[in-house]
Amino acid sequence: MKVTLRQSMAWIHGWLGLLAGWILFAMFLTGTASYFRPEITQWMQPEFRATPITPARAAQTAVSYMQSVAADDVQWFVYLPDARTSITRIYEIRNPASKAPPRPFEIVLNPATGQPLKARETQGGEHFYRFHFQLQLPYPWGRWLAGLCAMFMLGAIVSGVITHKRIFADFFTLRWNKGQRSWLDAHNVSAVLALPYHAMITYTGLITLVAMYMPWPVMANYAQPLDFGAVAFGIPADRAASGKPAPFVDVGPLVADAQRRFGGEATRLVVRNPNDAAATVTVYRHPSASLNARGPSVTYSGSDGRVLEQSTGSGPGIATAGVMLGLHVAQFAGTALRWTYFALGLTGAAMVGTGLLLWTAKRRKPGAAPFFGLKLVERLNIAVVAGLPTGMAAYLLANRLVPAAAAGRADTEVAAMFWTWGALAVLQLARPARRAWAEAFAVGAVAFAAIPVVNAATTARGLPGSLFDGDTLFAGFDLAMLAVAALLAIGAWRAGRTQAPVRRRVREMERV
Amino acid sequence: MAGRIATALVGGYAAAAALATLAARLLPIDRAEATSWAMILSFPVYGGLALWCFNERRVAKVALVVWGTALLAGGAAYLLGVRP
Repeated sequence: MKVTLRQSMAWIHGWLGLLAGWILFAMFLTGTASYFRPEITQWMQPEFRATPITPARAAQTAVSYMQSVAADDVQWFVYLPDARTSITRIYEIRNPASKAPPRPFEIVLNPATGQPLKARETQGGEHFYRFHFQLQLPYPWGRWLAGLCAMFMLGAIVSGVITHKRIFADFFTLRWNKGQRSWLDAHNVSAVLALPYHAMITYTGLITLVAMYMPWPVMANYAQPLDFGAVAFGIPADRAASGKPAPFVDVGPLVADAQRRFGGEATRLVVRNPNDAAATVTVYRHPSASLNARGPSVTYSGSDGRVLEQSTGSGPGIATAGVMLGLHVAQFAGTALRWTYFALGLTGAAMVGTGLLLWTAKRRKPGAAPFFGLKLVERLNIAVVAGLPTGMAAYLLANRLVPAAAAGRADTEVAAMFWTWGALAVLQLARPARRAWAEAFAVGAVAFAAIPVVNAATTARGLPGSLFDGDTLFAGFDLAMLAVAALLAIGAWRAGRTQAPVRRRVREMERV
Repeated sequence: MAGRIATALVGGYAAAAALATLAARLLPIDRAEATSWAMILSFPVYGGLALWCFNERRVAKVALVVWGTALLAGGAAYLLGVRP
């Protein structure tokens, strides 16, 4: 018996989707939230209102703070504020000989004052962003697992397109007012329309960590892999510390000079060996200036301020990788495109979620007792598809409900997400599957609807006020939470209805 | 089936990595460019090879092609050494 290409691809599509589906759903959902990473962080520190500041001034305040506490460091990595980010974040490589007390892993400053930020401690949007590709697992396992799942997704997309023979017909098929038929067509049209996004986001996602997943080509061409980094990522040549102290240059004029050269804002400084005669300051361009997320950089001497090197224009291969990274992280996107990305990201989660549901719908026999695998997949589906959103809501709610001064509160917020998610995953086992679906979605809807309420009760930036004050970030955030709540409520309502929609899906699966 | 899965997952990666390494080494363009193109294109090669492993009925052919590619391309890249 010859197995056709479509049959073999349908088979592998099912397995790829089943094995990676739950993780992919979580990656899609947290990744989609990460399009608003800086906005989430701002919302999660409601007591801090940003005052606009130039990158050059923020660089100066950051460096003067580091000079006061960490002048003997080996390196400073300074992430400057921008139109969407209101804080300065600094990471350091400490001098091994330093006897100063330990400092936090991440130093967060108020850019206007150059002093540690006076706001509640939180990971903000960083948590969803990190989870998106590290899955809360220790380095490097989370990243490897995320990469493996992304490869499964790539395989699932290709095999899915081969399996789905009516792909071009479905592109133009939307029969209105035909009851169930129309829902089916609408589902197909939306899935197929978003296909370019799904393929793009999966492929470019692999490219974001390509240096980790596929380092071998670098080794074929470079005796020193860092030499490739110098060309590809604008890492300046290594300059050892001289051991001779020298006063450190004022970085404000350097940032201003770099911005003139870029024709765009600066986003980040890397200071190597500050207060040494061989100190360097590298300034990087903000990724919003171009589709290519890897902008040019300029490296200055940290002792006299002259230009040491400037990243030269890169060829098409390097630029392609940079543009792929840019397409994935979408920092070039303005507000309208960012919301489009957000909506498309949700269709990605919906595509994975409906795929997981179809797996169970296809195998459920009316009247027959479900076999173990079916029950397992169904319960995992409920735990992830209906449980994770509620966990994410719990993270945001914990931000408002855990006292602002509590010790270790950033970790408590993260724990709230996983405990809530885990508790839902266990509690739903006590209910019949269809009720569990409806009730888990309903809990999620209530949790998201509670976010604006709790925000209004615990901060001075509640919804009616934020709308009146033109506080677009807070108003937009609260309205988005209400929209998510409505979406989950619709999910709860549909899941609680009669069995009819499931039978319809079975027929569809037999047709393709 | 276990052999087929291992060949697709591990062998597919090894073959794609070896082909990418060989291509990066041999492409007659700037080394940074060759490196970048090889890295970018390695993923579709891996995906295509892995899917093919489940389409080809004869598991011996699957193993021969995938592991053979990995060994030949990897060996060639090893013998060529780092680009001078």
